[in-house]
Amino acid sequence: MNKPDFDTFLAESINNSDSDITPQKDLWPGIEKALAHAPQPQVKASLWPKITGVAACSVAALLAVQLLFSGAEPATSVAMSEYFTQQKQTLLVQYQNQPALTDNWQQQLAELEDAERAIKQALENEPQSPALLKMLAQVYQQQLDLINKVHAPKWQQI
Amino acid sequence: MLIDAKQAFTQLSEETLITRVKSGDQNAYAALYELHVKRVYGLCLRLLADREHAEDATQEVFVQLWHKIASFEGQSQFSTWLHSVTSNIAISYLRKHKNWLQKVVSFEQSGMDEQSALDCQGLNGLDKLVLRLPERARMVFVLHVIEGYRHEEIATMLGMAVGSSKSQFHRARQLLKEWYENE
Repeated sequence: MNKPDFDTFLAESINNSDSDITPQKDLWPGIEKALAHAPQPQVKASLWPKITGVAACSVAALLAVQLLFSGAEPATSVAMSEYFTQQKQTLLVQYQNQPALTDNWQQQLAELEDAERAIKQALENEPQSPALLKMLAQVYQQQLDLINKVHAPKWQQI
Repeated sequence: MLIDAKQAFTQLSEETLITRVKSGDQNAYAALYELHVKRVYGLCLRLLADREHAEDATQEVFVQLWHKIASFEGQSQFSTWLHSVTSNIAISYLRKHKNWLQKVVSFEQSGMDEQSALDCQGLNGLDKLVLRLPERARMVFVLHVIEGYRHEEIATMLGMAVGSSKSQFHRARQLLKEWYENE
């Protein structure tokens, strides 16, 4: 018997599709364990640390965009580095007494710092390369996001 | 614990379960989990195309849901709301688990290999093909065709232009057609 054409196959598959798929392992014990360590919050925790963190990231992103599209000047990457370093330090000081949600966040940060160094090295040869400047801005942004994320008042890892 | 909860809450409606969960009843939550876990896992697996990641993301959905459920006001169906929560968490899970190089150069991950997709249990023929699609094409296809989101909504969710969502959809469709016809 000939198989139906693709459009018929697609329509029939979607119409008869069962959205349910059973996971191969029991996922509830992990969820239950996570819930045991994070009771349902009735009152929201203070949002100020998060708001200031997000504000810092937004300002940083805006600065990166401005630097990238206002015409690259030789000092662009230096100005960007100075600004992001300052933002990063502010966040690290702000969160210094707050426990992090993961143990390996500093390792992740070190990986991003490695990437930052590699891009800066490439920028020494091509200081006005828009692609490299964009990559540098993204790596800085990821560092800020990481610091914010691991200190966010959320549930602990399963 | 789960079996007890299932027995005790089998007869309760979803609405009653949600009310109890909002007041902090974990047994009611276990019953609500039982009602929806297969659908949530199905969506996570289709979006992430990786069994272990889908299991992790499903757990993350139900942990976050415990905190978010107080904000569910019943203006839409619970399953619709849960699908939206699940889609967003799966997308965010995928972003979180990319390494720095993938993030910096926007490197796109390929889908599941053909044999692994064929070995996945509980999937129909289309699902087995969908899991093989590259990441962006797969996510757009699943969200648009299976979940019913508009391209404008998908573009917002995935942080891409509407035109990119449409072109990824056509790319997905072409690949699926090619694979189906060569089967």
